[in-house]
Amino acid sequence: MAKVLVIADIKQGVLKGSTTELLSKARAMGAETAVVAIGSNIESLTADLAAAGSDTQYIADDPGLELFSAGPYASCVVDAAKQFEADMIWFGFSESGKASAPRVAAQLEAACATEIIEVEMEGDTIQVVRPAIANKVLQRIQVNTRQLVAVIRAGAFEADPDITGTENVVALAAPPADVKAVIKELVLDASGEVDLADADIVISVGRGAKDQAGVDLVKELAAELEAGFGSSRAMVDSGLMAHNKQVGQTGKIVAPTLYMAMGISGAIQHLAGMSGSKTILAVNKDPEAPIFNVADYGIVGDLFEVTPILREEIKKIRS
Amino acid sequence: MKILTTVKKVVDVELNIHLENGAIVEKGLQYVINAWDENAVEAAVQLKENNGAETTLVSVGGGDNTDMIRKCYAMGIENGIHIEDPALVDAGSSVFAKVLQKVFENGDYDLVITGKQAQDTDSGQTGIMLAEALSIPCVSNVISIEVIDDQNIKVSRLGDAGTEIVEIELPAVVTVSDSINEPRLPAMRGIMMAKKKKIQVMDLAALGTSAEEVCGSTPKSKIIEFMASQSRQAGQKFEGDAAEITAKVVDLLANEAKVL
Repeated sequence: MAKVLVIADIKQGVLKGSTTELLSKARAMGAETAVVAIGSNIESLTADLAAAGSDTQYIADDPGLELFSAGPYASCVVDAAKQFEADMIWFGFSESGKASAPRVAAQLEAACATEIIEVEMEGDTIQVVRPAIANKVLQRIQVNTRQLVAVIRAGAFEADPDITGTENVVALAAPPADVKAVIKELVLDASGEVDLADADIVISVGRGAKDQAGVDLVKELAAELEAGFGSSRAMVDSGLMAHNKQVGQTGKIVAPTLYMAMGISGAIQHLAGMSGSKTILAVNKDPEAPIFNVADYGIVGDLFEVTPILREEIKKIRS
Repeated sequence: MKILTTVKKVVDVELNIHLENGAIVEKGLQYVINAWDENAVEAAVQLKENNGAETTLVSVGGGDNTDMIRKCYAMGIENGIHIEDPALVDAGSSVFAKVLQKVFENGDYDLVITGKQAQDTDSGQTGIMLAEALSIPCVSNVISIEVIDDQNIKVSRLGDAGTEIVEIELPAVVTVSDSINEPRLPAMRGIMMAKKKKIQVMDLAALGTSAEEVCGSTPKSKIIEFMASQSRQAGQKFEGDAAEITAKVVDLLANEAKVL
């Protein structure tokens, strides 16, 4: 039986849903599953980690692991992978995962593949599928090593609502700190904001919003729907939106249930970051905007006029 | 300070890609410098201008990269190395990392700046694997670089929960996000000067290594097929009275798509 080690996605002390999605896929493939959780004061997560669908929980809990540092983080994963004798090591789609996976692969001399949307196993042969060239093509990749380190794309796998696991905790030794790349400070994103990575609804704003008033209008809609609030590249470049809000090939890749593109024309780089969404609504003044080519529903109109109506209509239908 | 930047020639993602028998049709493709590498070049040139540094770029594979390297010269890079070898045709990240390791070891560099990923693969592995091979520190997804002194730099990186401020002891690798800067358009004078500059072209033997050393006996993974991506279809588009069509769409979102 294949063994899959999933890296737990923990943010601000909370286990994220992507961990269950990855474990659900591993179980559906008939694999034995383990999870590795890395952080400080995370002992309370043990039950959640088991319930997320793992048979074994490797826990690296140390004050030195409170802030992310790729070196120590990778050391913990390598330690767990060796103890578990993992065939596959899966990271969820996160900046910490993207920073750690190539290190883990290099240390294990394993193959490494990122942005994975499908994993197939036949006997000992592993194949993975991933998008490339800004989502214009898919690549099927054959793995020739015994082990594969993969970063799984957001929304690639679905969580099994009936998944269960068993509690079997293995404590990992604290890894040495990286003394040559020392994290001095973490400037937290504004608190109380909905995480783009796992929001059910993501609403992004583009050049059509013009100015701060336009941004605020869309932001209010996002707040009311408890949606993640994202941005096109143009709005980040203009300084109206923060870097960490950018959705696209160069920023965050999201796959919510509903994505609303407000005043976004739909450059290929933006589409690469949101075309995995279940349903897409686009609002744009220009009926020829490329965003309409990927949108399930399109409203040709000015977002200044449409947004308040959208807000009222959604409020009506929800009450 | 000696800075090495890496540049990759990639397929222009703005153009349509055609597939035939599981492979990309070469005809009609155009190639450009990887956008993130252009940010890396700009970052290196800014460090040279602001703090004093010697800048070298290296490109690995891709055939004739003269135009791309000249563009970087025109932006302000001083030296260019191009590694070309038949063994590098299907090279992936781990192979690139081993080639770059040799370049680094030959040059006594203090800082390597790479784009955080390449537009053609979006893998984001090479820079990090290079640092692993050299056992030197690496910080990825960097949005600012500040020189502290000859041995130390301070960078900020976009992490999962916010911006991480990291102090790094050199030598080190940083991979940069496109948020770090806006690459300059080379001035005419720079373009003219760039035409006269030499590019050092080497194969693996001249670099002091071999296909066996950098590629190993079998590649760790291999692309066996390219497939069409599951492209989305355009759905229903509504024009007309804003109040009317918005109400209609909200109704569809709730009752047809069932996502509200």
